[in-house]
Amino acid sequence: MTIRLRLIIEWFIILLLANLTVICFTYWNITSAFDNLLYDGISDSARPAADDNILIIAIDEQSLAQNGKWPWSRLLHAQLIEQIKPLNPRSISLDIILSDKSTEEEDKALAEAFYADSQAQQPAIFMPLHSVSPGENGKAYDIIYPNQAFIKSDDNIGHVNLTFDNDGVLRRFNICFQADEAGKQWPHLMERIYQNRHGRPSETMQKAAQNKLCEKPRMIPYSKRDTIAQISYSDVQKGNIPRAFVEGKDIIIGATANGLGDNYPTPSSDGGLLSGVEIMANMLGALERNDFITPVPLWQTIIILLLPIWLLLLSFLRLQPRQILIISAIIFFGLFGLCAFLLYFGYWLAPGPALVALLIAYPLWGWRRLQTVSYFMGKKLKELEAEEDSIPFHSKKKKSLDLIGRQRDTLDQAIDNIRSLRRFVTDTLSGLPDPMFVINLENEVILSNDILDSRLETSLVGRSLSEAIETLVCEEDRPAVYNYINATDDQNHNMLIDQEKVVRMNYNETSSMGFVRFSSKRGRNFVMRRTELLSDEGDLRGYIHYLADISALAKADAQREEMLQLLSHDMRAPQSAILALLDGKIDDQAKKSIASNSKRTLQLAQDFVEIARMGETPFDGEEIMIDNLIDDVIDSLWPLAKEKKIKITLSNNNEGSFIIGEIDSLSRAFMNLLDNAIKFSPESSEVYVKIKNMTFGNTPMISITIEDEGPGIVNNMLPTLFDRFTSNRSKEGRAQGTGLGLSFVSAVISRHNGSINADNKRNSGAIFSILLPESIIEEA
Amino acid sequence: MRVALADDQPDVIEFMSSILEELDHIAVTFPDGERLSQALMRDTFDLVILDWNMPKKDGLAVLNWMKDAIKEAPPVIMMTSRTAKNDITAALNAGADDYITKPEDRNVIAARISAMLRRSGNSGSFETKATYGKYTLDRIEHNVSYDDKEVTLTAKEFELIDLLFRNRDRTMSRDYIMETIWRTNAALTTRTLDMHISRVRSKLNLKPENGFRIFTVFGYGYRLETLS
Repeated sequence: MTIRLRLIIEWFIILLLANLTVICFTYWNITSAFDNLLYDGISDSARPAADDNILIIAIDEQSLAQNGKWPWSRLLHAQLIEQIKPLNPRSISLDIILSDKSTEEEDKALAEAFYADSQAQQPAIFMPLHSVSPGENGKAYDIIYPNQAFIKSDDNIGHVNLTFDNDGVLRRFNICFQADEAGKQWPHLMERIYQNRHGRPSETMQKAAQNKLCEKPRMIPYSKRDTIAQISYSDVQKGNIPRAFVEGKDIIIGATANGLGDNYPTPSSDGGLLSGVEIMANMLGALERNDFITPVPLWQTIIILLLPIWLLLLSFLRLQPRQILIISAIIFFGLFGLCAFLLYFGYWLAPGPALVALLIAYPLWGWRRLQTVSYFMGKKLKELEAEEDSIPFHSKKKKSLDLIGRQRDTLDQAIDNIRSLRRFVTDTLSGLPDPMFVINLENEVILSNDILDSRLETSLVGRSLSEAIETLVCEEDRPAVYNYINATDDQNHNMLIDQEKVVRMNYNETSSMGFVRFSSKRGRNFVMRRTELLSDEGDLRGYIHYLADISALAKADAQREEMLQLLSHDMRAPQSAILALLDGKIDDQAKKSIASNSKRTLQLAQDFVEIARMGETPFDGEEIMIDNLIDDVIDSLWPLAKEKKIKITLSNNNEGSFIIGEIDSLSRAFMNLLDNAIKFSPESSEVYVKIKNMTFGNTPMISITIEDEGPGIVNNMLPTLFDRFTSNRSKEGRAQGTGLGLSFVSAVISRHNGSINADNKRNSGAIFSILLPESIIEEA
Repeated sequence: MRVALADDQPDVIEFMSSILEELDHIAVTFPDGERLSQALMRDTFDLVILDWNMPKKDGLAVLNWMKDAIKEAPPVIMMTSRTAKNDITAALNAGADDYITKPEDRNVIAARISAMLRRSGNSGSFETKATYGKYTLDRIEHNVSYDDKEVTLTAKEFELIDLLFRNRDRTMSRDYIMETIWRTNAALTTRTLDMHISRVRSKLNLKPENGFRIFTVFGYGYRLETLS
């Protein structure tokens, strides 16, 4: 499973969770406490003006002080009614329970006060209908009618039931009340007043009637406390009440005194409880203004609240964490704004569930994403660690205790490893003994190693391939190189090399070779190979160019060629001579010549074998007594010397010195030197061999010189005398030497950590001096 | 005496046979090592001359086989064109009594064969004075005279030169020489022998012009060659 898939699954889970939160919280109204608080806060900021056609006659503490404890005699009420009736109120409503019977006299007095004719216009009288819940016999309500004496018809009655929210605050208003389905629909007391005012049902009532829904909740917008006209019951009793105060107003008589218990909590923030009459006055105001606040219905609420959730979750997928934070804040406060906006238009949307969902979703997503990323990172790191071809760099293993710490350690280590790997690769590349450079698909050099840079004394990085080739390759080889490059170029890859530069040579031959040889501007020989640089997925990324300096090889080739020619000539010449001699008369002279020619071939072959052996095997010396060695050599060449009547004089100033040497090569070397000396000496001359001990610095050395009395060495030959295949001392018809001879001698002597030198004597004759390190035995 | 001669090259066989005939010996020739081995099982020879490079069974293999298979094996001269020190010592250490590198002078070969047969046969009685070419050895006085000169040697030097002359033309290993003269080789370095040889060589002027030559078989030993 990829990290992407995993994250999407996590996302879906969070989406589901957030949706469920919104739906459930909305359905079960779980966040009502918060929503109510929010509603109170918002609605508090915009209060409607109070209805000024209402006058409350308040049974307050002052009235209680004057008239004694509640309930009062109904005669008091009757007096009050009779007092205000002449002042021409439009209606008189009583928010006082008058359902119980009192004395007949009192009831009669009150009823008369209500309905007796007077010179003033008869105001409408409204009585409250109470209900007790739960009712008897399993009924939902028991309706308590006002005393029949005070009412003329049911139209005088309006319900005064209050519906509290579950936080005990009174926000709602039921326009009508129906105790049971068959029961009569009672309009609210305030609706009665409204109808009395306007002669028609209020719009709210009309809607309720249409939908047959009395209890569809509407929320009361409260006016500011104490803005509704109010007068104390006792003040009315005293009669000091101006007419204009009462005339045309709808009078509501009710208790406001705290002790009477008709006070309820309301959302208004100006503190305290609001009395039932004031609440009713607010209800009437709202009816009048028709500005009840309607809560948005359940399913609409859910849909509206889901939208910001989805918006946020979509942003989770698309945006950066910082943007998500900003988006979340915008959505969060936007929701408040939306609620306020809707409230302004009379709708209440409870945003609580959405806010909860937002508050859950945001950190949840943060957590899950971190967890998932962390999990995958851990997995990848483990994979990286377990990769077989990764280079095992060791690093200190600190173990942190917690998961994140451990992951950080692993990550640290992985980064360390990758750094080491990178350095390793870079160092390896830079340290490659052969020059190389890498180009990208734009034919630009992106990497060149140290050796190439130091050879060119500049870096090719950043230059184009053509420039690189011009820097590297001598002019006449460039077409071949371009040709090779084009042949190895990927076919789909646009060739950016200037086509004009390409000379179409033997295309197939070049490409099948897999490399191209060229000479550099400085005359060194190189082989260039070109390899595709592929990415992990196998896409072409560029090309690697390996350059191999084959100058040494080329030189060796040339030398081998030279050697073969020389060998074939030197070997062939004596053999041809033998064959020629065999054709003639075979006398003693001829026999001698044949023998000498054979010996020369033999010597050549042995030299050759010895040289080959020296090239292949490491130095393996043993102790050799130098006297014995030289004696042996002189003895074995004695027949040759004797023939030319040459005297070999050995002067030995050393006493029993030893060297560490390889006897085969060393004796051949001295044999060659002495043989040459004899060969180049005139008849009846002398050859001197001198052995001396000497110290060279602090190193004891043995010096061996071989002098002859021949013509000596041509001066311009001296510097190259010991080079291979420079044959030989002179070209003046002297006896021919072997091509290998002196270079072989030189090779042997340097193999023994010695030195050899050739010079001419002042009069005539050559002198060869050899220095070899002496082997000193350590005395026990 | 009967000499077994094994070589795959007819030229060499002919050349060697002629030398043996000159020395009045009977040469029995074999073209390869296998035939030689078969013959050695049922026939007796006084000397075996072996080529190294032979078909079927090479010289070294025959040598190794002889060590185990033949009781009282005759002396063996190994003959080859291999001249490298390691090859020579390998052959000598495998049990060859002497070693001749090809090509070699006819007279040298004859002398080496005679020396080998002399030793294996009756190698002579003790004489107080013995003369070899120019050199006369006085075994009582421990001095050597040549060209009317008398050279006095130390006891060990005389023993060494006596040993070399008695076994002239035979290759002797260092160990053999040292054990014979010093009775032990434990405390000796090879340097001691080398220096004795060198001293004897220069004191007696043992040089080809005087008819003798001390030949060093490096890594193995020494041989006093008589030159005619």
